Amino acid sequence: MEERLRKKAKELLESGEVKVVIGYGWNRQKTRTSPVFITDAAEVDRLVWNPLCVNNLSIYLTRKFKDIQALGRPAIVAKGCDIRNIVVLITEAQFKREDVYILGMACEGTVYRQELWKGELKPEIMPTKCHNCDVRNPHLADFVVGEKSSFTPPEAPAGMVFDKIKAIDAMGQAGKWAFWINEFSRCIKCYACRQVCSLCYCERCITEKNMPQWIETSAHPRGNLSWNLTRAMHLVGRCTFCGECERACPVNIPLNLVNQKMIQVVKDAFDFRSGYDEKTHPPMIVFSPDDKDDFIK
Amino acid sequence: MADRILKKENLGKLVASVNGKGGRFIAPVLDARQVVFKDVARAEDIVSDYILARNSYKEYVFPQTEVVADFTVEKHGVDLKSREVEARETVVLGARPCEATSLSSLRAIFTWDYIDEFYTKREDTLVVITVACTKADEACFCTTVGLSPETKTGSDVYLLETESGDYIVETMTEKGKAFVERHKAAFTEGGAKAKALVMPEKIGTIDLNKVGARLKDKSHYDDQVWARLTRKCIGCGACTFVCPTCHCFDITDEGTAFAGERRKNWDACQYDTFTLHASGHNPRHYQYQRWRNRFMCKFNFYPEKFASKGCVGCGRCIRVCPVRLDITEVMEEFSR
Amino acid sequence: MSNNIYLPHLVTIEDIYEEAPDVRSFRLVFKDKALRETFDFKTGQFGLYSAFGLGESTFCIASAPTRKGYIQCTFRKSGRVTGGLSELSIGDTMGFRGPYGNFFPVDEWKGKNLVFIAGGIGLPPVRSVIWNCLDRREEFGDITVVYGARTVADLVYKNELQHWGDRNDVRLIQAVDPGGQTPEWQGKVGFVPTVLEEAAPIAENTVAVTCGPPIMIKFVLKALEKLGFSDENVYTTLENKMKCGVGKCGRCNVGDVYVCKEGPVYTAAEVKKMYNDF
Repeated sequence: MEERLRKKAKELLESGEVKVVIGYGWNRQKTRTSPVFITDAAEVDRLVWNPLCVNNLSIYLTRKFKDIQALGRPAIVAKGCDIRNIVVLITEAQFKREDVYILGMACEGTVYRQELWKGELKPEIMPTKCHNCDVRNPHLADFVVGEKSSFTPPEAPAGMVFDKIKAIDAMGQAGKWAFWINEFSRCIKCYACRQVCSLCYCERCITEKNMPQWIETSAHPRGNLSWNLTRAMHLVGRCTFCGECERACPVNIPLNLVNQKMIQVVKDAFDFRSGYDEKTHPPMIVFSPDDKDDFIK
Repeated sequence: MADRILKKENLGKLVASVNGKGGRFIAPVLDARQVVFKDVARAEDIVSDYILARNSYKEYVFPQTEVVADFTVEKHGVDLKSREVEARETVVLGARPCEATSLSSLRAIFTWDYIDEFYTKREDTLVVITVACTKADEACFCTTVGLSPETKTGSDVYLLETESGDYIVETMTEKGKAFVERHKAAFTEGGAKAKALVMPEKIGTIDLNKVGARLKDKSHYDDQVWARLTRKCIGCGACTFVCPTCHCFDITDEGTAFAGERRKNWDACQYDTFTLHASGHNPRHYQYQRWRNRFMCKFNFYPEKFASKGCVGCGRCIRVCPVRLDITEVMEEFSR
Repeated sequence: MSNNIYLPHLVTIEDIYEEAPDVRSFRLVFKDKALRETFDFKTGQFGLYSAFGLGESTFCIASAPTRKGYIQCTFRKSGRVTGGLSELSIGDTMGFRGPYGNFFPVDEWKGKNLVFIAGGIGLPPVRSVIWNCLDRREEFGDITVVYGARTVADLVYKNELQHWGDRNDVRLIQAVDPGGQTPEWQGKVGFVPTVLEEAAPIAENTVAVTCGPPIMIKFVLKALEKLGFSDENVYTTLENKMKCGVGKCGRCNVGDVYVCKEGPVYTAAEVKKMYNDF
């Protein structure tokens, strides 16, 4: 698969169809993958593909990365889950479909965190999203690399994240509050969750707007709660559960729980799942008279 | 001569002695599936099988958020009150030899002509008890920056783990001696065999002198190498927050229109708003320029201006980076 | 006595002057009577000004150290703190920390001619030097002031400009950018660097001081070079974002130079030696 990917990347760069291929490469020790930006066809051998390719590279397509945009039209190595983010970016008019060449990777799952890798992809080191993945065969791509996956996700989503959400739902109001206040208490306001998220592409984040100061910047309970809740709200109907924020969080706040819960709420209220169709607008930016209002309590 | 020993079963005594005398006992504990420095009340919570705590213990001398003054705005004037640091014995057990060297770097900044007493008063009463490393991972690179598990500079008390899980105690400073004296009931004498220390392999392709010389030559600022190596940086600042020598902060007011507090909060040179002028001009417009600044700070500003170490090789920034931007790969490039 | 380096002094706003749209000056007096007597600074130094509840902002001290008993600051309303300061009235309290940084070596300029070149809101730091030198007028040779702004309305210190223009020991050249003039405008129309070149002050035995937007400074330095000024005789003051003012918070550095501690005043020769981090 890696060879197929390199060959295609080489073709694209040589023909001038794209100016940069955004993909995965090895670190020095060849123990972790890290994003690479290939602009020279002679360097395509730096591209790798394996279950350690966890990063959602779609972030590099956003306007936060002006120096990458300056390189010219990109091709991006993307798993189905990453493509969902690309789809959301297109529906939100961040760029047009033709502005990016998608090298879709047929995927058999990734590791939850790279440090868990012991040379074999076992179910227990895969994140919940992979166990329930319905886009292992890329749903939107200019070129698909790899054999078609025959994996079918379970009828009802299952896995650790869903189990924990059920447990939290059962906690009652006071229990939920205590749970989250405790989790958010560790927040160090590094904003890694925001920075790693391709859907957090605002040039000025609400937390940086200080006239007035909407969110207190101190890492104290008030500031931490308002930051984490605000970010969750800003991702409603948009988040694809790619898991990057939780992976990036240096203090292990279980952000997947927040985001998956919001996804379930949106699914129930609007029968919408983000990132599947680049022609459908997300529910929070359209009004429909058929909208159920029963989520207002 | 018999060694001074801190027996595992006497850790509880030490914790109780420090806390009982009004002090604060900090040690690595397990929290949310990570080993972190935290206040400890019971010795059983202390973890001994770890490489480094996730956080640097700098937060006990330079808290992430701290009030420096309180104010109330009244009809005809402002009532302004200074906050003073209450200095009390703070003991950090389980620092690693690499990070123990970071305090002199922080001190250089916080005492550069103007003395920041919020820092110095805390550091004056901080006792750093280092436990030499018997484990390392691929992110560790202390030996590449001229340190090692045998480095004792910066430690007040230096401990070697023994085969039986006890510690051989060596006092390095007056502060360390006074500490052991103050809590002598927790220490015993005896003989024990220390576990072998684990040295991370020195990265042969890195030459710190060459890195320093390249950075001094100002033409590198416009070198494309910065963009090429670091454009994957997403600007999250996690590296700066876990770094034992990063010291940048913001000063901000919080509260209502009538009363509030002025706070000193950690900030990071990796954020685009960090240097953004009111006019909209930003001297560091691109992320690679911000990353370049951090690297310069570590390998030029600190050593050249303050004759201190900007990087201690603890590897926290490598472990925490969501895009695995490895500072040693950049050091390698600048060693060519 | 507190040794808290982040604790501001309380000052009272004694007077407010509207300088230009969104630009105003405060005349500030220390609440502490003893400090009022003893407070001293050198021209070119800066301070951090607090609007309590909103934070601190950095500007130069725009008054001259030869004028005792008060300090003046001039700022443009552009953010949270300056917005808050703009809401204050005469008699209100604000905070001041300083003076910080280095200064213009005015004493070394004795016997020399002086050329001051400023653009827009860059005049306040230069104003401090101008008044300092005018108050010691006999110590210096010819004094030329070249000042420009985008429009006539944007010129700050209009009364003082008139005063300087009326004096026969100051040569004042005022300019506005093309399109910024009014029908009554008597001064030049053109950009500051061009106007400076036309005015052609003699470079020999002359010191130049300039402050303004980065783009203006860049071209002023070129113009001065053309006029024969050596980089050692050209001074400017760098304005970078600051929070602490005392070399700790880490954001004002240009490469290895901490503007708050080692600046803000530099010669063009020093600026050219810096890392390209502007």
